[in-house]
Formats: sequence, structure tokens, C-alpha cells
Amino acid sequence: MSIADQALTEEMASRRDMIVCRGVKKWFGDFQALAGVDITVKDREVMVVLGPSGSGKSTLIRCINRLEVHQEGEIVVDGVEMTNDMRNIEKIRSEVGMVFQQFNLFPHLTVLDNITLAPIWVRKRARVEAEAKAMELLERVGIPEQANKFPGQLSGGQQQRVAIARSLAMEPKIMLFDEPTSALDPEMISEVLDVMKDLARGGMTMIVVTHEMGFAREVADRLVFMESGDVVEVGTPEHFFTNPTEERTKLFLSQIL
Amino acid sequence: MSEVTLPAAQRAPEAESVSPGRWVRENLFSSVSNVIQTVFFSLVLLGLLRWVLGQIFSEEANWTSVATNMRLLFTYNYPTEQFVRIWFAAGALFLAVGASFAAWNLNPMVTVRRIGVAVVGTGAVSLVVALISPDTTPSAVRTGFLAVGIGLVVLALAVLKVVPEPHRRQVPFIGMLAGVAVLVCGVLWFFPFGDYGFADGAPTAESGTIDSSTSLPVTVMFLIMIGTYLAGRALARVIDLGWLRRTMIGWWVIGPAFVVFLVLRDPEFDWGYVLAVDVPMGAAFAVGGAVLLYLLAKPSRSDLARVIGALLVALALFHWVAAFFGWYPMLQKARFSFALVAVAVLLAPTFAGERAARLRFAGGWFGFMVLFHWLLTGINTPSTLDIAAPPFLGGFVLTVSIAYYVMLASFPLGVLLSLARTSKMPIFRVLATTYIEVVRGVPLITVLFFFSIMLPLFLPGGMGISDLAAVFAGYTVFSAAYMAENIRGGLQSVRRGQYEAADALGLTTVQRTAFIVLPQALRVSIPNLVGQAIATFKETSLIAIVGGFDLLRIANSTIPNQPDFLGQKRPALFFISLVYFVVAYSMSRASRNLEERLQEGQAR
Repeated sequence: MSIADQALTEEMASRRDMIVCRGVKKWFGDFQALAGVDITVKDREVMVVLGPSGSGKSTLIRCINRLEVHQEGEIVVDGVEMTNDMRNIEKIRSEVGMVFQQFNLFPHLTVLDNITLAPIWVRKRARVEAEAKAMELLERVGIPEQANKFPGQLSGGQQQRVAIARSLAMEPKIMLFDEPTSALDPEMISEVLDVMKDLARGGMTMIVVTHEMGFAREVADRLVFMESGDVVEVGTPEHFFTNPTEERTKLFLSQIL
Repeated sequence: MSEVTLPAAQRAPEAESVSPGRWVRENLFSSVSNVIQTVFFSLVLLGLLRWVLGQIFSEEANWTSVATNMRLLFTYNYPTEQFVRIWFAAGALFLAVGASFAAWNLNPMVTVRRIGVAVVGTGAVSLVVALISPDTTPSAVRTGFLAVGIGLVVLALAVLKVVPEPHRRQVPFIGMLAGVAVLVCGVLWFFPFGDYGFADGAPTAESGTIDSSTSLPVTVMFLIMIGTYLAGRALARVIDLGWLRRTMIGWWVIGPAFVVFLVLRDPEFDWGYVLAVDVPMGAAFAVGGAVLLYLLAKPSRSDLARVIGALLVALALFHWVAAFFGWYPMLQKARFSFALVAVAVLLAPTFAGERAARLRFAGGWFGFMVLFHWLLTGINTPSTLDIAAPPFLGGFVLTVSIAYYVMLASFPLGVLLSLARTSKMPIFRVLATTYIEVVRGVPLITVLFFFSIMLPLFLPGGMGISDLAAVFAGYTVFSAAYMAENIRGGLQSVRRGQYEAADALGLTTVQRTAFIVLPQALRVSIPNLVGQAIATFKETSLIAIVGGFDLLRIANSTIPNQPDFLGQKRPALFFISLVYFVVAYSMSRASRNLEERLQEGQAR
């Protein structure tokens, strides 16, 4: 069994492939960030990617929505291959939502405008409909009263929740999270993680790059450990935290647990 | 859960108001070196002031040269019988200003105390002037300044004592508007400036107040502005402010052209030509274009729209080449309209959508075409874009008109240039960089010469360009290059994460630039852009070299050449420096207000 399909339960193995990466390699100049990555993410799966800094985890998920361009290998998202064709890229991006470490909210727009901008101009929804959906999403993430404020007036945890709502407004099939809580103060981390757990329970396909082990243990279907651009080990949470196979994995876990 | 009592919220302690005496002691005389510096610089400043006052009040300075030529300075040779047009134009301007104030709900927080302090300061300056002006000053002037100074100081101090809590009470905006109006009109109606003018080629002078043919219309202007402001505020409770703001923006972009070309200029319509050629052509482009855009704005037809748009652009370019070689005749207006259709079709995919959105897009095009053709027809030249400068546009009106149009036109051009320069596509980058570097490397006067003298030689037969159009084009080309660099600075300040977030949401490049990147870039560039605008306003004085009669030329050559005021430059130059300063400073302050408003709630 290839490393990509490791640790899949029978039930999960029967699900559709949402993201397939085969032999993905990427260089930044002379530095190799991804050295042949093979990964399969199934429908409704929550995959958590761990690893030391510089291991290529952020690069990998940024390749999935073409914020970075991979040089070798192939990436297939929900049956659409990622090539240089702009139409494929646009199709993929409309199905994949991303949440950034630095939130990246638009500071000159109110929270409501932040969330409704893309649905109105990309999905061509009517403003009234988009705003109703936005208020629904704000309630789901717990901050409906902030709708008319500017991002600069919100706390970090609130901003990240708005960022999640903004991505959800496009009704994506897959959500990518690039260290969503790394820039937050400790007391705000849990409010964001709660939203993510809620999303996972609702059946969203998620790839989460994070250092939050509690979250990984509780919610992840599979964990992926990367180092120096390689996928070292793939396993279920129980396997990972109780009895990892690889030496490098054991070393990493001993440093952070 | 146990109740937790929190301490009652405390108010921040009030900042101590510092008495003037204490402020002076602490800031000006606190140490030996401070004392020396205060004394030294005070002497220098007072000496400078005394010299300036000496220039203003000396006996050689003949201020009648300015007073008599007021009309000349402001409107040059506009025939007096048609002055009602000038006042109509000014009225339209004041109306728009009042409506804009109302639409954007301008309400700067000014306390009674700040106004009181400003008035005391003005009074103090007046007293200083009265005390240190040199002996050549007529005693009437000296006592006048003394009286005004004492009066202002006493009045202000009395008001500050009487009004309770002056540092808290806010003066509403309408109060300030009314105050300014009363001040200006009061001075115009009651101050004994004297009545100066020309009669039969000789200057006349009468004592008394300014002629009511000036004071009355100005009073009416202010009443219009205040009335519009009040009406606007009342209306704001009922109608959607957003609609009012968009209307005002539309007015400020199009209105001045309407005012200058249709009101101030007396068009001699050739109705036959208008009905036979202009109206059908305008209708064809408006209706045909609207139908085409409506059909192409369907999301499923995006690719088709792009293809057709590219074809139209190629065709539009071909027209210009054909014109250059004279292959077939085509009206200038048609060539421009064609190019505009091409641009609109290229934009159709971005504005594609459901039926309502498509109707709005097509409707917008229709309205725009109607307006465009109406304005051009108003200038009424059959085959060329010939914005003829009537010989009676000059002076302050000319300066302001040119400056306004140049700022209006060079801004979008500057935005496009800066986007091209930072584009990933090499052709745009190379073209834009060449343009910007060439234009920046050349003095403004050279650009003006090129457009007004050399360009007409290059144009194909049948195409002409009037003086005013040439000057306008030259200034715009020049100013756009500088604006582009300013905006590029702003573009570089937008964080990469913003681009990534926009891409991740699926926004196209055009949408990302228009909605995310440009708003943030422009906010940062405002101080530089306004500085550029102020420079443009002052550079309009170079029109003199290519034959225009702007404010500076009139003050510098026309007035000193009049037989009654031979060689008297200084009073007129002093006066126009004041005019330039007032306008430039207003722009500066407006830009600061704008920046403050844009920062609301956006602290990074």
C-alpha cells in the first residue's frame, strides 16, 4: 500500500478522492521545499499535517490552491487536474477555501462586506441573498453583532472567525487551514478551534496545518508528519501519539509533547 | 456561579487645560538657550513682518491697480453683459458644494474653545501688525488694525467666559458655514473698500462699499450653498445616502464640463447638422452598444465577450492607423465611441450576472453614451475634437478650470499607468516604464510646446487640436506620470496576504485590483497625490508661455502694461499669491480631513 493510502479504515477507503498529490516536487530556486509528496485526502476527511518549520507543510497546501506552483508531479482536486490553464485554476479555487495564519481580512471593508464580496462578484449572487447568508455564517461562528465593524476593531480570535466565515460563504467543498491559531493569544485559540471542530463534525473535508495537538488528537482522521519536504509517516491519531513507527516522528513528538 | 463585582468604570481624568501664561513659560522661556532662541527668532520674525508690511502699505504701492482690475483678474475678457452666465456657473458650483457637504455628512468636531482661541489669535496678530508696521503706514490703516485687534480679542474672551464649558461645546457645521457666510457677505456689503472699475478705458474710483453687482450675487451663492446643505441633511433622513453620494460624484466628474462648455460658452448650433449626423450617430452607439452589452454580459458568454472585445480593440486601433494614412474618412467622435465600445465589451465578463445586473450595465452604458455625445455635440465641431477656447476664458476661471480638468483626467491615467508598470506582462511594463521615465525626464514646458506646436504638424489632414485642448493634453500627460509613481508607492504598501486572500476567494485579477488592492493603495498615496494636485494647480501658470491668459500672466504683464498702472507689479503679485495660497491651503486641509475620515475604525 502506498504511503498515501496508509492508515485508511475500510469505510474511508471507499470514499471519493478529494485531493490526490502524486510525486509533487517544488523548488524555491535551489532549495527543494517538496521532495516528491504522495498524499490522498478522502471526502469528508480531516487531515492534520504536522512537522518542524521548513518541512514544506505550508508549501504543500498552498500548492493545492495554486498560491504556489509545483514544478513536478501532479495535483488533482475533485477530479480537476491542476495545470497552467486558468480555467482549471479558477474552478479549483472556487471549491477550495483557505484560512491564513495572518487572517488577511480586507481592512477597508466592514466584516459584512468582507464576507459578501466574493459571493456577489464571483458567484454573482444578489446582495440581499449574500448578506442573509453572511449573517447566518456569522451566527454560526458566534459573532453576529460584529457585522458592521471593521476588522481593525476586532480581536484576533474574532478576526480569524470572520476569515473562516468569509471562506465558508463561497460554499467550498474543501477547506485549507494554514496554521490558523499560530498568531493568536492563548485565550482566543479555543474559540477558533471550536469553530473548526464544528466544521469537521459537519462533514467538511479539511486539511489543517497546526501545532495544536489537542485538536489533532480529537478531530483528525489521519495525521501526516512531514520533514524536509518528505512525507515521513501517515497514521491515525491513536497510532501517532501512542506508537509511531518512524524514528524521526518519535523525535519530533518528544520535542513538542 | 459566584457574582463578581467589578469596580465601577472610571472616567479618564480630564486633561488639565494649561493657561497661556504657563504655556509660554514652559515652552518658550524654560532654559537659557530657549530664552535666547525665543528672543532671537522673535526679532527676526518681527523684522520680516515689518518689511512685508512696509511693502504692503508704502506709498508707492498702488493697490488701486488690483482693485480696478478685479474683474480682469478673475474672468479676463468675459463680456460684462453675459456675466449672468458666470454667476450661474458659480451658483451651480456652490449648489454642488452644499449638496456634497450634506451627502458626506461633513461634521468636523470643532469646539467653541478652539474657535475662541483662533479668534483671539487673529486679534493678537492684528494688534501686532498695528504696533510694528513702519511709519509710512497711513494712520487710518493703523488705527483700523488696532481697533479690529482689540475688538476681536475682547469679543472672543467675553464669549469664552460666558459660554459654559467651552472646551466641550461643539459648534455644529451649519453654524460654521453660516459664520463664514456672514463674515464674507458682511465684509462685502459694509466694508468701505471703495468702488473701482473701468469706464471708457479709464479707471474710476468711488468711495463707499463694493458695488452691489458683486455683493448681491455672492450673497445669493452663499444662501444657495447653505440652503442646499440644509435640504440635503433633511433629505438624508428619508433617502439612501449612498445614492446621493454616487450622484454627487457623477456631478463632480461631468458637471464642470457641462458648466464650462455649455453655459460659459455661447454655442452656435448648426441644428441641421446636429439632427442629421450627431443625434443618429449618438443614438446608434448608445442603443447598439447597450444591446450588445446586454447580450454579452451573460456569465455563460464570457469567452465570447472576450473574443469580441479583442476584435473590437483591434478594429478601433485600425481606425486610428487608417486616419493617419487617410484611407477612409471617419468622424473623430465615431472613432472615440468605437474605442469606448471595445473597452466596455472587454469589461462585460467582470460585470456579468443575472438579468438585473446586465440591465444595469447596459443602462449605464446607454446613459454614458448619451452624455458623452451630448457634451461633444455641445462643442459642435463637425469632425474634430476641437475644444475651442473662446477668447473670453481667462484669469482665475481659466486657471481653476485647467487645473480641475487636468487633475480629473490625469488621475485615472495615472492609476492605469501604475498598474501597467507593476504588471506581470512584459509589454505593459515596458510601455508604461518608458512613458513614465521619458515624461519625467523632460521639463513641463517642453511637453506643452510639443503638444501645442509640434503635435498639430503630426496629425493627419482634417484633424486639428485647439490651444486649450493641447494645453490640457500636455498637462495631463505630464501629471499622469507623476501620479503613476505616487500610486506605485502605494501599491507596494499593500501586503502580499491581501493578494493571496483575494486569489483564494476566486476573485479575478480585475476584481482584485479594483476592490482590494487599489482602495488600500490609494489611501496610502493620498498625501502624495494631493501634493501633486497642488503642484499641478500652480504649474498652470505656464499656460502663459503658450499663449493663455491665466492669473499670473495678467498680474505680471497685463496689469503693468496698462497706461494707468505702468510698471506696477508688486500689488498685483501680492494679491495673486494670496489667492494661490488660499486655494492650495484649502486643498491641503481637505486632504487631511479626508485621511482622517478614511482612518476611522481601521487602525492596523
